[in-house]
Amino acid sequence: MYEETGCFDPNSMVEGPDGLSQVLKPPPPPVPLMAGSTTNSHNSFEDNIKLSAEELSYHHCNPHQEVDASAAMDIQLQNQQMAFNTHLMQDSSNQVLAFASSSLADASYTPTADLLNLFHLPRCSASSLLPNSSISFTNPTHTTPLGLVGDLPMTDTASASSILYDPLFHLNLPPQPPLFRELFQSLPSHGYSLSGSRDSSLFGGGGDDHVEGSGGGGLYQDGDGEQQFDNGVLEFTWDMACMGKGRKSGKITKHFATERQRRQHLTDKYQALRDLVPNPTKNDRASVVGDAINYIKELLRNVNELKILVERKRCARERRKRLKTEEDSIGNNVHESSSIMKPLGDPDQSFNNGSLRSSWLQRKSKDTEVDVRIVDDEVTIKLVQRKKINCLLIVSKVLDELQLDLHHVAGGHIGDYYSFLFNTKIYEGSSVYASAIANKLIEVVDRHYASTPSSGCY
Amino acid sequence: MEFLGSAMNELCFTQESNRRGRLGRRKVEYDDTREYKSKNLHAERRRRQKLSDRLLALRSMVPIITNMNKATIIEDAITYIQELQQNVKLLSDQLLEMEGSSEEAVQTRSDEINAAEEMKNCGIMEDVQVTNIDRNKLWIKIILEKKRGRFTRLIEAMTYLGLELTDTNVATSKGAMLVSSCVEGSYGDTLTVEQTKDLLLEIIKSI
Repeated sequence: MYEETGCFDPNSMVEGPDGLSQVLKPPPPPVPLMAGSTTNSHNSFEDNIKLSAEELSYHHCNPHQEVDASAAMDIQLQNQQMAFNTHLMQDSSNQVLAFASSSLADASYTPTADLLNLFHLPRCSASSLLPNSSISFTNPTHTTPLGLVGDLPMTDTASASSILYDPLFHLNLPPQPPLFRELFQSLPSHGYSLSGSRDSSLFGGGGDDHVEGSGGGGLYQDGDGEQQFDNGVLEFTWDMACMGKGRKSGKITKHFATERQRRQHLTDKYQALRDLVPNPTKNDRASVVGDAINYIKELLRNVNELKILVERKRCARERRKRLKTEEDSIGNNVHESSSIMKPLGDPDQSFNNGSLRSSWLQRKSKDTEVDVRIVDDEVTIKLVQRKKINCLLIVSKVLDELQLDLHHVAGGHIGDYYSFLFNTKIYEGSSVYASAIANKLIEVVDRHYASTPSSGCY
Repeated sequence: MEFLGSAMNELCFTQESNRRGRLGRRKVEYDDTREYKSKNLHAERRRRQKLSDRLLALRSMVPIITNMNKATIIEDAITYIQELQQNVKLLSDQLLEMEGSSEEAVQTRSDEINAAEEMKNCGIMEDVQVTNIDRNKLWIKIILEKKRGRFTRLIEAMTYLGLELTDTNVATSKGAMLVSSCVEGSYGDTLTVEQTKDLLLEIIKSI
């Protein structure tokens, strides 16, 4: 239980716009927990009753509803979560999200503001009096590049966010944080998208200095601090993570209030990195970083290879055009053009020959591993397949499609695996590149495996 | 003397341990718990060192770095990887778009013509040999003229007719392709040498 503060009157009521507002039993006026979605008027009155019952348990002044709140509360919160999720999906308004979550948070105790306050004014909350909260508002999703993208749209959830995080922080209830995390994870917002979708702005609210309480690690606020609060006093305390963003500078300065938030934030970043890499192996930090290093190298190789190919194609095209025009002009004017033709041809050749194309990459799928190495026009493909499918035919078909000329093949059945090594040459003029080869091979082989479930028969 | 010696020993130990940092300035008592603790410390330190080295390597690969702390290294790496992925996508789309104009059809014909000529020049003839290795296994050797897509057709024909290649080796030289492989009957039936040889000759003629 938390201490009642003098800042608000637990009995005061907030009329949420609709049904998500939780209603306290009379005589105390209904508690405003949801300034939430407008579609929830039907949302069971029962829920409200139950929630209100729970709230009551947190209220000193309503002794007459001794509800075993914690267990019920959790369930209710989860139910609410579900309700929220559906509603949130319906409503794209960020405010709704904010309010929903805030109201969810509020389920544990009653905030006081009236509707006006909820929407515009930051409340002076009990949080100011309570010790460090252990709740960390983690990133709702794994992928958190959000913080890196400085341009979250500034939304009018600034006010919402202020209230959003307000109630939570003095709750040290252990069951809560995961729920909240779940809630946010299930939010359609997935707050972090490079495009800075509207939803993401849930976490991108007010960057004002005094609107600081953007909760736990991983919530970044946009720096357009124009959104002021009318009664700008939001007494977030030192126990809230204040995310003041450098105004439109693209840089984020984070100040974590708790060490735990910082750690969580870091873990989320590692997870984001892990999700970017195609074949993550182990799940520990060092190997994530190692995988990332290798992946960056692979991407650089791919980019270089593609650049060379594009360049070659472009030169070839230009050369063809030039030859064509020269041919045309030859028909008209024999002497002049013939002398021009040769020197023009050469620079293209030399350019092409100067850059040796090389690339290497590996791809793995569940049963198949492919290693493709390209040097100039020679492609070496190594294929290991874990199921007993003789894929020689399939692969040679694919190689024909990809315009690769088989020079050497070696391989066969080894224990539980089929393993092959193909040495091929690229037919002239074809601009197939390493990752295309690898992806196509894996796709075809896996598809073939899927279509012949019984092993070994072919 | 002894006393001095032991004192010196202690000193050495403590100094050593200071250097290694494992035991600090405590007395050197190698009771079990302390040793495990120190081993763990050592392992933990190595683990941290490994992570830190890798982070350093990651930082060195990313061109745009903002701050130099652990969190921002990861952040910058994430941004960079995404940027590279976008680049790759862009370039490959561009390449695909440029694929429209094709002029390579002419080239392949010339390759094939050369192959036939080369074979003739070296006196290589198309050939099939089959021998029995094991009860069920046969070993085949096929020499054929290399044509585009011919190998695929060969394999296709063989598999449809019930010959499964378990170990294959293909080499090409001078316009000819040499295929040597262990063959088993895919339906479990035993194959005779004669049958198989005839079969293969038929196949080669038809592809």
